[in-house]
Amino acid sequence: MADHPLFTVDIVTPESIIWSGQAEFVSAMTTEGEIGVYAAHEPTMAALSTGAVEIHTEDGTLTVGIHGGFLQIFQDTVTLLTDRAEMTDGGRVEALRLAEDMRDDSADGGGEASG
Amino acid sequence: MASAELRLIRRRIRSVQSTMKITRAMELIATSRIAKARVRVQQAQPYTEKMTDVIRNIGAATGSLSHPLLDVREVETAGVVVVTSDRGLAGGYNSNVLRLAERAIAAHRAAGREVRLYNVGDKAIGYFGYRKFASASEWTGVTDTPAYGDARTITNRLLEDYESGTLDSVEVYTTRYVSALVQDAVLWPVLPVQPPEIDEEAGEGGTSYEYEPNAETILGRLLPRYVEGTIFGILLEASASEHAARRRAMKAATENAEELVRLLSREANQARQAEITTEISEIVGGAEAMAGG
Repeated sequence: MADHPLFTVDIVTPESIIWSGQAEFVSAMTTEGEIGVYAAHEPTMAALSTGAVEIHTEDGTLTVGIHGGFLQIFQDTVTLLTDRAEMTDGGRVEALRLAEDMRDDSADGGGEASG
Repeated sequence: MASAELRLIRRRIRSVQSTMKITRAMELIATSRIAKARVRVQQAQPYTEKMTDVIRNIGAATGSLSHPLLDVREVETAGVVVVTSDRGLAGGYNSNVLRLAERAIAAHRAAGREVRLYNVGDKAIGYFGYRKFASASEWTGVTDTPAYGDARTITNRLLEDYESGTLDSVEVYTTRYVSALVQDAVLWPVLPVQPPEIDEEAGEGGTSYEYEPNAETILGRLLPRYVEGTIFGILLEASASEHAARRRAMKAATENAEELVRLLSREANQARQAEITTEISEIVGGAEAMAGG
């Protein structure tokens, strides 16, 4: 992989910090389309759609399926805030499948409710 | 026969000891659950903190925040959410928060405001049900180990009612975990969302963000998630408090039982001694009668 400057990436869900570390490049799906981030990206705030996020680190590429959320780029830190995220070794296809599962799960809602 | 008394005391000792086994087991379970619940509270914090950051940044970048969830309305109907446990045996945990909520409801009514009640946990449902306070919604099975889905279900219901104008505010009565020994029943205002203080000096005020698609849309999507995150945090903290309160109550119960066993054993020993004394004097009396005769 080509040498690019590193920046910090945090993937944060309500349950925990899923991943935090240094990356060379990050790609994610926003509601408007795909966004690719290298170091020194201008400050950005984007709404994410359910889909796959790829993180290119020095040691290789990580894929994460995420369920909606937000992406903030500020001072060389990329923060992904999402309801749910799951790491996978299965690459982009598997990440997309995970993301679709999350979409189906959350449609059912959780807990018991009565009126 | 004196042994009847002795038998009764021994039976009580056995009964107290078996209760003590239960309270001690509950104490141990609660202790391990506090630790887990505390970890979950801590793990949930970065999410809400980052969200607060984002809202603050949008506020600083756009100059002002405007969204229906931020608007402070004249309160005609107050939404009151009461968070209790499903089970008792947790000392004053439930009664503290219920008392606080009931007082607040009375205050709302005295001020001429309608109250819409939302109960979380069997104890709140039982308490207000008995007092014939109708509730708009109730949830159970949530507070023991809250899942994010539970927070979402509750939030969706509250937001629905808030957006339709059925409610003008939402306040949550819950228990805050201060330390292992102190948990306070508190009022936690949730809606309208109180925007974080925008710190002009922080140097972020001048940053211009690029928004995809735009600041309003992002804020509109962010705020409901923010409320969800807040509710989730509240549930997690209530859960940690519940386990801490239960641990303390069970510890006290175990100690009381130990004390009781000590007192009863002493009584049993006295009774046994009295019995022996009686027997000896009977034997001595009998022998003397024989010798005399």
